[in-house]
This record gives sequence, C-alpha cells and structure tokens, in this order.
Amino acid sequence: MTDTATLDRPRAARRFPWRRFGTDACWMLVPVVICAVIVTWSFGDGTGFGINLLVSACIGTIAFSIINGVRLAFWGEGRRPHPLAFAALIAVGVPTGQVAGARVAGWLLGRELTSLHTLGSSRTSGMLVFTLLATGAVTLFFASRDRVARAEAAAAEERARAEAVERQALQAQLQLLQAQIEPHMLFNTLANLQGLIALDPGRAQQMLDQLIQYLRATLSSSRARHTTLAQEFALLQAYLGLMSVRMGERLSYAFELPDELRAVEIPPMLLQPLVENAIAHGLEPTIDGGHIHISAARRGDLLTLSIVDNGRGPEAGPGKAGTSVGLSNTRARLDALFGARASVTLRPAEGGGAVACIIIPL
Amino acid sequence: MTTALIAEDEPILAAMLAASLQRLWPGLEIVATCPHGVAALSEALARQPDVLFLDIKMPGKTGLEVAEELAEQWPGGRPFPQIVFVTAYDEYAVQAFDNAAADYVLKPVSDERLGRTVQRLRQRLETQPAGGMGAVLAQLRALAGAQPAPAPAERLTLIRAAVGNQVKMIPIADVVYFEALDKYVNVVTADGEALIRTSLKELLPQLDDKVFWQVHRGTIVNAACVLSALKDEAGKLTLNVRHRPEKLRVSPLYAHLFRQM
Repeated sequence: MTDTATLDRPRAARRFPWRRFGTDACWMLVPVVICAVIVTWSFGDGTGFGINLLVSACIGTIAFSIINGVRLAFWGEGRRPHPLAFAALIAVGVPTGQVAGARVAGWLLGRELTSLHTLGSSRTSGMLVFTLLATGAVTLFFASRDRVARAEAAAAEERARAEAVERQALQAQLQLLQAQIEPHMLFNTLANLQGLIALDPGRAQQMLDQLIQYLRATLSSSRARHTTLAQEFALLQAYLGLMSVRMGERLSYAFELPDELRAVEIPPMLLQPLVENAIAHGLEPTIDGGHIHISAARRGDLLTLSIVDNGRGPEAGPGKAGTSVGLSNTRARLDALFGARASVTLRPAEGGGAVACIIIPL
Repeated sequence: MTTALIAEDEPILAAMLAASLQRLWPGLEIVATCPHGVAALSEALARQPDVLFLDIKMPGKTGLEVAEELAEQWPGGRPFPQIVFVTAYDEYAVQAFDNAAADYVLKPVSDERLGRTVQRLRQRLETQPAGGMGAVLAQLRALAGAQPAPAPAERLTLIRAAVGNQVKMIPIADVVYFEALDKYVNVVTADGEALIRTSLKELLPQLDDKVFWQVHRGTIVNAACVLSALKDEAGKLTLNVRHRPEKLRVSPLYAHLFRQM
C-alpha cells in the first residue's frame, strides 16, 4: 500500500487491484443515490425516484468503471495520477458514462431516453454538466480517502522503522552482554591478571583497573541509548589497554578525537566490534602484530569514524574461527537508525592493513 | 638435566608458566621461550628439548601445526619430545584433547593441574627415554579427526584453472596430485600443471576421500596414481606416482596409510 511498494515493481508485473476496485464500487452507491435524490426532487422532469435511481446507477457505474478502472490499471493504488491525464480521463469517462449509461437504462426500462444521450440537446447538456459535477465530487471524495490512506501507510512505515531501531538496539544490547562475558576475552584477561599478581603486583593493579573500567563502560552503555564520542573512546582505551597487556610489544594504538567532537552523541558500542575485528583478524594472526589508529573527523554535516590497522588486510580471510557478525551487525544497526544517510565500509588500506570507516549524519 | 621449551604469544602467560614450572619442577631448565609458532619450530629443532609446552593459538603456526611439522622434520635417532598443549577456555577443544589422550593444560594454568602434568611427564621421561613420536602422532590424528567438520561441500568434478589467458578444464580423475603453493594450489596432471586460487583446506572437503588422500600438510594425492611407497634410512617415507617424475613426501602423520597389509 506504500508508494515504494508499487514503484519498485515493473508495471507489467503489477496485478490489477480488484479488491480496491470492489470497495470503491461499494462507496459509489452513496453518490448514485444522492444524485437520484437530487434529480428527482430538485430539477427532475417528474420522473419517479426508482427510474432516476436506475439511470443514475447506470451512468454512475459506467463512468466510475472507466475512470477508476483506468486509474487503477495505470497508476495502481498508491500513486497519484498526473492532474492533466486525470482531467482527460474524466473528459472521456463522463460523456461515455452519460450516453452509454442512459442507453443501458433505456434498454432495461424498455424505452428510449433520448433526452439523456443525444449530445447537443439542452437537456442532455444539462445532465452532462450534472454528471460532471457529481463525478468531480466523487473524485474529490476518493482523492481525500487516498490521501488518508497514504498518510496511514507513511505512519505505518515510520512505526515499522521505529520498531526496527528498537529491535536493533535490543540486539546490540544482547550482543554487548555477550561481549562482556565473551569467555575467551574474560578468561585470557584473568589469566594475565593472575600472572601479573605473581610477577608484577603494580601492573596487576593497573590491569584490574582497566578491566573494571571496561566492564563498567560496556555494562552502562549496553543500557544507554546514546553515548558520547568521549565515552566511546574511553571504553576503547580500556579495551585496547587490556589487549596490549596481553599482546605486549605486538600492539600499539593511537586515538584522534578533536575537542569539538567530544560531546557528539553516537549509538553505544558502535566502534567496539570493529576494533575487535581489527585485532582478531588483522593483527593477532601476524607474528609482529601492528598498530591501530582510531579517529573521528567532521566533514560538513557528516561524522566520519575511522579504524585503521596495518595488519593482514581484509583480503586475508578471517583470523579466527567464528561468525563475522561485527560488520554486518553494525551495518544493520546504522541502517535502522539513519537509513541511507549512514554507511560502514571495510577496505584494504594503502600499504597493507584495513580501514573500517563509519559515516553518520551529525 | 631435563630441558623444556615454552611457546606462547602472550608474554605474561609465558613468564607465568615458566615461574610455575620452576616452582613445581626445580630440575627443569627452560631453554627457550618463543612468541610464535615459527620460532617454536626452529628453536625446537635446534635445541631438541625433552618437553614442549605449545600454545594452541599462536600467530605464525598453531601448536598443532608446530607438533606436526616437528614430527616431519625431526632428525632420526633422537628421542622425540613430550608435548603438552596449552589452550584457552574452549569446551570443544578440551573434549577433543581428552579423547585424543593428549597432555594439555588450560589457561589460566592452575598449579594443581600443572603439578599433575609435571608428575606424569617425569614418570614418562624416566620409564621411556626413547621419544614417543608414535604417541604424539596418534594424538594429532585424533585431534585432526575431532576438528569440527567443514560444511558439506559440493563434490568437485571439473577443475577450472587459469593458464595464461585461457581457462583450462581438468576432469578431477586426471589429477595426479595437488600441492599447496603459498596462496595457490598447484594442480598436477600427467601432461602439465595449473594453478587455482584456493587452499588445500578449502579443497579437501570437495574431494572424495576414498580417491584423494592427504599425505602431507601440503599434498593431496590421487590414490590410484600411487605406484609405491619408499622408506629411506632416516625412516622418511616418499611416494612414486604414475605419469610424474616427482617423488612426494609423506608426513609421519599419514605414514600409516602406506603400511603393508
């Protein structure tokens, strides 16, 4: 029922909307009766109501079938016909309905209704104007009904979109919860912590602080709808701090967050999965490890977030088993929140490695 | 003096394992600590320690790959080291190690568990100083069999390989053997060779395992083309194949395929 739904289908594949035609036909009964009443009691020539109703029904039905039938066949349910084309359609439909309807009514009644279908006679011209006015009224009525239907469709689409956003947020929340208790991450971190307690209690204390910061940040951001860039970068700092204890010399990292962007709001945990990917698939499988550079920049009314690593690059295939959901989840999340205005891309970096880039409207 | 090598990519965990071992086994000398699989293999070959502690997930080569390649390259006549795998929390792997009767410890390594492992190792080193390559190979085979089965792939009937600017069609039955070459696989037939851009790992599930046998990490051979298997003085096994002059090396891991009936 939406504009787009009919637009993306080629006209040939569109089936004639018989249901709609039927409901419209039911609505047609109302103006048919009204016209019969007007003709009988306001400017009739003494003909009885029953006969007028039959004539009105014949004329109305034929005019309606031509006009509405052609409209639905050509423009479908959701689209508005071009005003000129529609005017032409009425110009054809009304006289045809008038003449053919009067003839059919005459044949049913067993008498000629010449005064109603002789084009050029004054009575016929008067009735033609009347039919035209009636058709105009009916058209206005249907047009307003269409407008309401379109508005409802748009509202439904908006609702669906809001639901999708909601669902994505919920999914992200679940994934966050899973990420927090991702056994490998936690166990490896604990193993290192255990080692440091014996080897270097001072550093163990530091690492424990980072773990607490990381868990607190993930927990709070999994409940929040928004986070600021400053908070997101702090979370990444804690995460990379933990990772660099584990990877030692093999991991180095740098952040670039301009002051004026610190307070910008973004969906929580947007960058985390992509940073995790850069480490798991880009750096961890390499003997020498490498560097991660995370930056935020403003270009006009767009925010660009980049994660650049100098690891194996996206061509190298996954660095560890497991489903590569990080990228597709991020894409789905952004799509639900911002539609076509946002994007996420992963491409090879110049000189090896990968660039993950998120663009969202500010 | 018993010697040991530790292969672990996380420096703190390596230091911690070394410290625990010193506590539990004062007579053990740690001769090398390697941060990745490639170094672990070369150091193990150079120093020939009695015991190896191999992390499963390392850059360069996994612990399992190190063990397998060590078995291939181990000089004859030297006792093969005892191997203990070190693995992170991962239920599937633990189950597999248990089934393979392999020695393993879980990270974070607890003293109690490591103590039991140390006791077992010392017992074994005393009673059977001659290396247990056979035991390690049996474990590796069991572990390889326990790998999660790849998604069932379409059977390959025809190989389309690019040769220059044309695409060569090679019926699968014409292939004498496949060999891994960096990022490619070399398809060898009676009358030539052609490269396809894939890995042996991806190729294997698409082949009929009754027809094509893996005989080495980098070689899959058409069993019908094998003429004979030859053992040299060092106990290394090579294959002579139909239509081709090359001799194919057999990894100790797959030597059992060519035992006489």
